[in-house]
Amino acid sequence: MRSAFSKALVEAAQNDKRVLLLTGDHGYALFDEFRRSCPDQYINAGIAEQNMVGVAAGLAKAGFRPVVYGLSAFVPVRVLEQIKIDVCYEKLPVIFTGDGAGLVYSTLGTSHQSFEDIACLRAVPHIDILSPCDAHELTACMRSAFAQAGPVYMRMGKADLGAVHEALPDLECGKLLRVLDGDHPVTLVATGSMVKAAQTLGRELGASVWSAPWIKPLDTTQLSSIAAGTRAIITLEEHSVVGGLGGAVLEALAEAGPRPVLRVGIGEQFSLTCGSHAHAMREHRIDLESVRQRIAPFVAKWQAA
Amino acid sequence: MKPLFQPSALRRTVVEMAYAGNAVHLGCAFSIVELVSALYARQMRYDLSDPDDPGRDYLVLSKGHGVMAQYACLHQLGWIERQDIDGYFHDGSRLKGLSDAHVPGCEVTSGSLGHGLSVGVGLALGASRRKAGQNCYVIVGDGEMNEGPVWEGMLFAAHAKLDNLMVIVDANGFQAMGTTDEVMALGSLRAKFSAFDFDVLEVDGHDLAAISAAMDQLMTTKNGKPKALVAKTVKGKGVSYMENINAWHYSRLNAVQYEQALRELGGA
Repeated sequence: MRSAFSKALVEAAQNDKRVLLLTGDHGYALFDEFRRSCPDQYINAGIAEQNMVGVAAGLAKAGFRPVVYGLSAFVPVRVLEQIKIDVCYEKLPVIFTGDGAGLVYSTLGTSHQSFEDIACLRAVPHIDILSPCDAHELTACMRSAFAQAGPVYMRMGKADLGAVHEALPDLECGKLLRVLDGDHPVTLVATGSMVKAAQTLGRELGASVWSAPWIKPLDTTQLSSIAAGTRAIITLEEHSVVGGLGGAVLEALAEAGPRPVLRVGIGEQFSLTCGSHAHAMREHRIDLESVRQRIAPFVAKWQAA
Repeated sequence: MKPLFQPSALRRTVVEMAYAGNAVHLGCAFSIVELVSALYARQMRYDLSDPDDPGRDYLVLSKGHGVMAQYACLHQLGWIERQDIDGYFHDGSRLKGLSDAHVPGCEVTSGSLGHGLSVGVGLALGASRRKAGQNCYVIVGDGEMNEGPVWEGMLFAAHAKLDNLMVIVDANGFQAMGTTDEVMALGSLRAKFSAFDFDVLEVDGHDLAAISAAMDQLMTTKNGKPKALVAKTVKGKGVSYMENINAWHYSRLNAVQYEQALRELGGA
């Protein structure tokens, strides 16, 4: 997924000299190819994220297409106010990329773990939120982001889980992508790193699985029609259950035609111990085995209904 | 032909707006009147018929609570209307109490302090990359310099060698709750800007000729260094009962004060 990101960036920058990459002194090795191919379009803004976002806003106003790269713990969360006031209020075409989203930095602890980023940005007008699950979705997301006239945030989580899609999907604003077709009365909707787990669970249950690369806006019409064809929905995300994909699905369906929704994600808890990403996922009970156990009663209830 | 931006006329407009809107921040606007006057009358390049002209110089009012001084200039430019002045803060009106980028002539949305310099740095960087000969002027308050991103922006500006950028400090010595010395002592701004590798001059912020001379001297020195103009100003300048009285950060005009202010400014 990271090489797809680098490739998409280089492609965009080579095609459009207005594209400028700003990084807050992050992205070691990730930008080697970019720096080699487009040295004049690379700006290391130093360890000063607030200034970096303001500079990106100024560059966008002056006609450039800035891409701001950071860890998702810092971009968007640390710089939320700059994104809101300097960028979104004027609908400036700035692309924010938040790397290492979720529990990726499991060993570094709370400062680098990021499961509030979607929730923070969902309340900010004019910015779209993208959350690709594999290299194909990421490439499609990057193309969509550059095609947007306004601000975009792309969340990049655990990147080495392998492909979900077999080819580059057609991405449409706000649309979910079907990953698996099933006839189980419960449907799974997942985003980012959790789509793989949803795919596995969907196969076990014979359930339909949808990936949500475009979390804001969400296409309520499509979501309603998915809901109409199922008894209940389970959402899965490596993000807080508050304000993320699960929250967005619930809010949309509450108005459009409610279905029972079980939100699988991170709860009211910071990581307490240190360990691998797999360990952190277990600690927060969003690893595959924990999720299997967590959803079992909900699945049984709506299967029997 | 450019309007004249005569300071007492600008201050009268500020008083009229503030009274019409029962607005605060008069003292904060009065301290920058000569600074914006010099910028619009002499220093900046702009197209009178198009506030968004892509070749314009940029004025970023980072201390957004001084915005009535800029509104007074924008009114003289014809970019905002008399009804905007008379209807300030009325329901459905378009001018807010802090600088807002949706207003023609305002580059940034400020008031949350410490934002404008970074955006100005981005504008200056964009202009320098385009080699369009555009300059960017950023007005910050001395109190605003408590904010961390101001110093991030200074580091970046020097690193990027933005000699088309000028930071203008409205050094009136006050911030909301007291003097800058009482709240968060700044020490020598001149020394601090020098240490950050800026060309820096200090000037009497109410002496139009001195301001223009200092701006000229700074901006004609193309040496890869960003510029800083530390303008020593008086909060509330121009109205006797407001000068150096910090209460005029928050106070509203009553009818008697309104009439007296206009009289002192050569109006009514």
